[in-house]
Amino acid sequence: MTRLLNKPLRAFILYSLVVLATSIPAYYLIIDYIWRLQLDEHNQLVSKKTQNELSTLSLNDTLLKQSIELWDRIQPGTVLEPVSQAEMRPDSIYTVLRPNKYDPDGYINRFRGLSTYFILHGKPYRLIVETNVEESDETIAAITVVTVFFFLLLLGGFIILNKRISVRLWKPFYRTLEKVQHFNLSRQQNIQFEDTSIKEFKELNDALQHLIEADMTAYRLQKEFTENASHELQTPLAIIRSKLDLLLQSSTLTNEQSDIIEQATRALSRVSRINRNLLLLARIENNQFADRQQIDLSGIVNENLLMLDEHLSNKGIEREKDIDDAIQITGNRTLVETMVSNLLLNAIRHSPAGGKIKVQLSARQLRISNSGNGPLKEDGLFQRFSNISHESPGSGLGLAIVKQVCNRYGWEVSYSYSQDFHVFTIRF
Amino acid sequence: MKVLIIEDEPELAASITDYLSGESYLCETAASFRQALEKINAFEYDCILLDLMLPGGNGLDILQEIKHRKREEGVIIISAKDAVEDKIKGLQIGADDYISKPFHLAELAARIYSLIRRKQFNNTNVLRQEEIEVNLLAKTVHVHGKVVNFTRKELDLLLYFMANRNRVVSKTALAEHLSGDIADMLDSHDFVYAHIKNLKKKLAEAGATNYLKTIYGSGYKWES
Repeated sequence: MTRLLNKPLRAFILYSLVVLATSIPAYYLIIDYIWRLQLDEHNQLVSKKTQNELSTLSLNDTLLKQSIELWDRIQPGTVLEPVSQAEMRPDSIYTVLRPNKYDPDGYINRFRGLSTYFILHGKPYRLIVETNVEESDETIAAITVVTVFFFLLLLGGFIILNKRISVRLWKPFYRTLEKVQHFNLSRQQNIQFEDTSIKEFKELNDALQHLIEADMTAYRLQKEFTENASHELQTPLAIIRSKLDLLLQSSTLTNEQSDIIEQATRALSRVSRINRNLLLLARIENNQFADRQQIDLSGIVNENLLMLDEHLSNKGIEREKDIDDAIQITGNRTLVETMVSNLLLNAIRHSPAGGKIKVQLSARQLRISNSGNGPLKEDGLFQRFSNISHESPGSGLGLAIVKQVCNRYGWEVSYSYSQDFHVFTIRF
Repeated sequence: MKVLIIEDEPELAASITDYLSGESYLCETAASFRQALEKINAFEYDCILLDLMLPGGNGLDILQEIKHRKREEGVIIISAKDAVEDKIKGLQIGADDYISKPFHLAELAARIYSLIRRKQFNNTNVLRQEEIEVNLLAKTVHVHGKVVNFTRKELDLLLYFMANRNRVVSKTALAEHLSGDIADMLDSHDFVYAHIKNLKKKLAEAGATNYLKTIYGSGYKWES
C-alpha cells in the first residue's frame, strides 16, 4: 500500500523529470541560436570595419598588397585575399569544424564563418572572418549538468516538503482516522473529533460524527427494544402462568384436560426462559454487569456439578472431572455462574443416555466435553437461535450467552469435535 | 392471615387472591402507589406482596416507608424487572424475599407460608399435620414421635406441599422449585418423581397417612 501523499509526489517527480529533460534540447537550441546570431553579427562587424578601414587608408597597390599579407599573417581568424572577377560570389555564412592551430592539444573546434567579397581599388577581394563557437556537445553537457543539479534540488525539496505536509497538514486526518479505528459501537462512547481549520477535514469529521451518532442511536434503540420487549412480556406471561395454575385447581378436570394444561405449562416455561435469556443478553450488552471481582472458578464449577449430579445419574451419564483447586478469575459472579451452568447443562442435554461428560479446569482453560454422534455445524453455533433442535428444545440462547460473557472478558470460546466428543473450550 | 397484594395488573392480583383465599388467607389488593400507601396506613398485614413498578411511584419507596415505620409485615417483592440491582436493593432496604415474574402460584404460596411462619414463631416453630411434626429449626421430621430421616430436597418438598395444602401442584412447578432456572432445560422431569417417590415411601414406612395424592396428568395434591 502506498501512502496517499506519495502518489502525487511520484507524479510531481515524474513530471518535473520530463519537463527538465525536454528543457535540455530547448536550452541548447536557444543558446546555440543566440550564439550564432551574435557571432554572425560580430563577423559582419569585423568584415565591415576591415573593408572600411582598408578603403580609407588610400594605399598604393604595392603597399596594399604588403599590408594585406601582413594582415593575413597577424590577424587570426581572418583571411583577406584577392580573387579573380569570376570567383566573386554573394556573401555566405557557414559553420565549420576544424583543428584550431593555436590550440595546443589540436582539438577539433567549431567555427562560425562569414565569407564576403568586395572591390578595393577596382580589384575584387575575398574576406573570410571565422570565430570560434562553443561545440554543441559541450553546450549540451553543461546544460545537462545544470539541469540535473536543479532536478536533484527539486527532488529533495519535494520529499522534504511532502514530509512536512504529511506531518502538519494531514495531522487532523490521521487523528480522525485513529479515533475511528478505535471506535467500538458496543461501548457506546461517542467520539469527539478535534477542531480543524481545513474545510475538507471539517466536513469529514462532521459526516463521521453524524454517522456514528446515528449508528449508536440505532444500536441503543435495538438493545433497549429487546430489553423493553422482554420486560413487557413478563407480566402477561405471569398472568397466563397463574391462570393455568388456577385452572389446575378445578375439580372437574378430565385427565385429558390436565394433560393439556401440563403441556401448556411446560411450553410456557420455555417461553419464559427464552424471554429471561433474551433479557439477560440485552443486559450484558447494555453493560449492566459492570462490576468485577475475584471469583473462585473451581468452586463454581464444583457447585454446579454437585447441583447437576442427580440429573447426570438420572440420565445414566458418566462424569469425569479434573478440576484444579483454587482457580481464580476476574469477572461478574452472576455472569460467570451463568456461563458455567449453561455449558454444563448443554453438555448434559446433548449427551445421549449412558454417555459421558468430562470437565477439566486449569488456570489456562475450562474444557467441557460430552459424548455425541458426529460433529455439530460450527457455523453460527454461538449465535442466537442457531442451534435449536427439535429433539431437545432449549432456549437457543445458552451458547450465545456463553459467547457474550467470553467476549466481555476477552476470553476465547471454541468448539471442536474429537474422538466422539463435543468439546467446548474457554481460554482465559 | 392477611395478605396485601400491591400489584397494578388486576388479572394477576385476582389470580393470587383466588389461589390464596380459602386456605386461611385473607387477601386485599392495591393497584397503585397511592392506594398501597393508604392501605398500609389503615391496616396491618401479615405479609405484603409488592410489585416494584406501580402507577404513581416506585415500589421500593413503599418498602422504605414500611421499614421506616418499623412495621412487622413481611414483604415479598414480585417484580418483572428481574434485575440483580433491584433485588439487592430491595433486600438491603429490608424486603424478606424476592420472586420474579412469571412465577408459579404454588411457589409464591410456599414463599408466603415460609415468611409468615418465620415472622410469627420467631423461627422456632414446629409444624404439625396430624401425626407428622416438622421442626423447622432442627430440620427434623417426626412421625408418630419417631424421627424419619429426609434428605434436604425431600424436606423441602414436604414443606412445599404443606404450604400448598389442598391445591394441585404441577410437576413443572415442582421441577422449577427443586432445580430453579435449569428445570426446563432438562428434557425430563423424572427427578421430581424420584424425590416424591422417596418422600412417600419414607412417610408410609413410618406409618403416616398417605396425604400426598397423585393427580393423573397434572401433578400432586397434599390433602388434609
